[in-house]
Amino acid sequence: MEVKITEKDNVMTAQLIGRLDTAVSQEVATALQPVIDQANKTIVLDCKELSYISSSGLRIFLTIRKAAAGKGGKVIVRDINNEIRQVFMMTGFLNLFEIQES
Amino acid sequence: MAKKRDIDHFTGAAAKRGLLIIIVAVLTLETTSLLQYFSSEKILRDEAGRRAEGQLEATELHILNVMSQVETAVNNSVWSVEQQLNRPDSLAAVTVRLVQNNPVICGSTVALVNQELAPYSYDAGGEILSSTLATAEYDYPHQEWFVKPMELDGPYWSEPYFDEGGGNMLMTTYSIPVRDKKGRVAAVFTADVSLDWLTELVGSVKVYPTAFSMLISRTGQIMVCPVETLVMKKNIQELAASMEDSTTFQSMNRSLLSGESGNTTFRYQGKMHYMFFDSVERTGWAMTISIPEDEIFGNIKRLGFLIIILQIIGVTMIIFILYYTIKQEKDLRLSEQGKHRIEGELHVARGIQMSMIPKIFPPYPERGDVDMFASVLPAKEVGGDLYDFYIRENKLFFCIGDVSGKGVPASLVMAVTRSLFRTVSAHEKSPQRIVSTINASMSDMNETNMFVTLFCGVLDLENGHLRYCNAGHNAPVLVQEGGKRELPVVPNLPLGVLADMSFTEQETDLTCGTGLFLYTDGLNEAENAFHQLFGEERMMAALQPGLESRKQIAAMTDAVHAFVSGAEQSDDLTMLYIRFMNSQITEETERHLILHNDIQQIPQLAEFVEAVADIAKLDVGLAMSLNLALEEAVSNVIMYAYPPGSDGLVDVEAIIRKNELRFILSDSGVAFDPTAAPDADITLDVSERPIGGLGIFLVRNIMDEVSYTRSDDGKNILTMIKKLA
Repeated sequence: MEVKITEKDNVMTAQLIGRLDTAVSQEVATALQPVIDQANKTIVLDCKELSYISSSGLRIFLTIRKAAAGKGGKVIVRDINNEIRQVFMMTGFLNLFEIQES
Repeated sequence: MAKKRDIDHFTGAAAKRGLLIIIVAVLTLETTSLLQYFSSEKILRDEAGRRAEGQLEATELHILNVMSQVETAVNNSVWSVEQQLNRPDSLAAVTVRLVQNNPVICGSTVALVNQELAPYSYDAGGEILSSTLATAEYDYPHQEWFVKPMELDGPYWSEPYFDEGGGNMLMTTYSIPVRDKKGRVAAVFTADVSLDWLTELVGSVKVYPTAFSMLISRTGQIMVCPVETLVMKKNIQELAASMEDSTTFQSMNRSLLSGESGNTTFRYQGKMHYMFFDSVERTGWAMTISIPEDEIFGNIKRLGFLIIILQIIGVTMIIFILYYTIKQEKDLRLSEQGKHRIEGELHVARGIQMSMIPKIFPPYPERGDVDMFASVLPAKEVGGDLYDFYIRENKLFFCIGDVSGKGVPASLVMAVTRSLFRTVSAHEKSPQRIVSTINASMSDMNETNMFVTLFCGVLDLENGHLRYCNAGHNAPVLVQEGGKRELPVVPNLPLGVLADMSFTEQETDLTCGTGLFLYTDGLNEAENAFHQLFGEERMMAALQPGLESRKQIAAMTDAVHAFVSGAEQSDDLTMLYIRFMNSQITEETERHLILHNDIQQIPQLAEFVEAVADIAKLDVGLAMSLNLALEEAVSNVIMYAYPPGSDGLVDVEAIIRKNELRFILSDSGVAFDPTAAPDADITLDVSERPIGGLGIFLVRNIMDEVSYTRSDDGKNILTMIKKLA
């Protein structure tokens, strides 16, 4: 699992590459801490190369979303695959996140 | 033993009764026989007496007749003698005439009293000769015949005497005094009578073949007797003295000589004789007839002997018949008791036999994958048919068989076969090997040459796969919606024929709802009163696809009963109907993974699930969903089941079937039921939405069935099933 954070035009983009399972969730959470800290900005979670997400991953997504909500920021989930979309649907995350296709 | 005693008692009583009957019969027979014997004896004795007396009387009459004749002849000539008294020379003419005119008179004389003159005429063989008795040697004035009439002054019959001078014969003389004109006795006129005729007459008296007669004179001289040496030589007293029982004889003599009549017995020459006697009137003689006792009673004695022999034979036969009657009765009672005992034992045997075969239906009410029913109708009290079944390792082991013969021997073989089936199949899944092993055991001990036809099957209830082996039994019938047909079977030989017989195993797959109808030949060979067989056609017609096993067996039973309609059942009739009802027919693959309680092992779980998904040929999306569900469940265990820092294991078992995936998680951690947690509310907005609680929610959503149990050995067992289309 790899996390790449880039910032451009007041938009923080976190590129999630690989499987976000429970084993790596703690690591990913740590990697995304800068994003959470700057939740007043627009946060883009680029999922184009995210193949898998477990509930621990969803927790991170929700934590970011809650932080953004608290700080007046915005979270955009970009390019989720069908499987993750299924999970989002299942969990009601489709209602909590702005999903974008590039 | 109580019954044995009863029989002994019965036999004893019957024997006593029989003995009593024999005793009474014998007593009655003997009493009547004795009565008859004695009365017959009396009748015979009386008869003998009558015959003897009749003979005596007839003989006496004859004698008296002769004597009267003589007396008359003499008396009629007395006048002539009186006329000639003065002319003694003419007296001879009178005597000659007398002899001449009377053949009975063989001699005659007129002996004068006053002078020695006694002219004598006698018959010498037809010629009448004359002589004189007035001789010095003879001295007639002193002869009895001369003296007695003078003394008596009347006629006199002399004692019989043996005349040696005259005719050398037994004689008697009739003498009568003749008076002159002055009334004085002047002469004695005599007539000699030969007693030869008397000997002949008396000797010829034969009332019985060996009876004999005697004539005895007044003085006891034996005048006539069968023993000629005794005649005129022995006195009856002398004879009596020489007899064997002289006392009886002498007392008899006294009555005899005193002119009485009657009868007596005496022993002569070792034989008892009856003697009848009577006196002959005027002469003072006595006549006897002696009859040997056995002459009188010979017939009755022979008859009595015959009767006794017949009675002995009769009584022997009665005893014989009685003995056999008692014996037969005893045998009958014994055999009846035996019959009762055998019936009782057959009843018990039937109970034992019925307890050997499963007879609680439905046998597996909790199982939805099999529906079965069976029925046994033994022809006799116990039968040689068998069936058995049980489930082991989710496989139905079953068999149906028919032992050759009926009754107790067949049922014993049936019991052996059934117990062999259970024993062998307990550790053997191949019907072919089950059948071969049973066959080997049975052939080894088959000394009675009884054999068993057996169909043995093993039905995998997971997937309907049926493996079977037939040992000479009727082919079962497959009943399914598409139609009914015999299950193809290699007949093979029955069990117990060849020890090293090699049996063929066959296999097929049953689809859900397919029935397998097994039966013994008591069904297709059931006979009605016209000796028609129920047959396979009628049997096939009575099979209906989709019918519940209980109803199918009932329908078949009704059909066969309607066909035979009361004709006696000649063979055991056994039916077993198995319907495979598992709609989830899958080939099953199992995969197994053991993880430590380390969250870093999650990728291994992912690999495992990928592999399972590959086996199940799942699409990527479903694979990921399952992966997610498994990860949620497993990570839950890894993180919370065991105390932090302690080592623990998580066991993951995946069962891959055609129609489902089944994951079973087990751990030895603290009891925790994830299914008890409330569902996450996914409708809440961001601010209200809790961070956690999504894991088990996902599991529930992805899987079709999730269930939790805490096992007896302290394990959390979570079963998750994903149905596959």
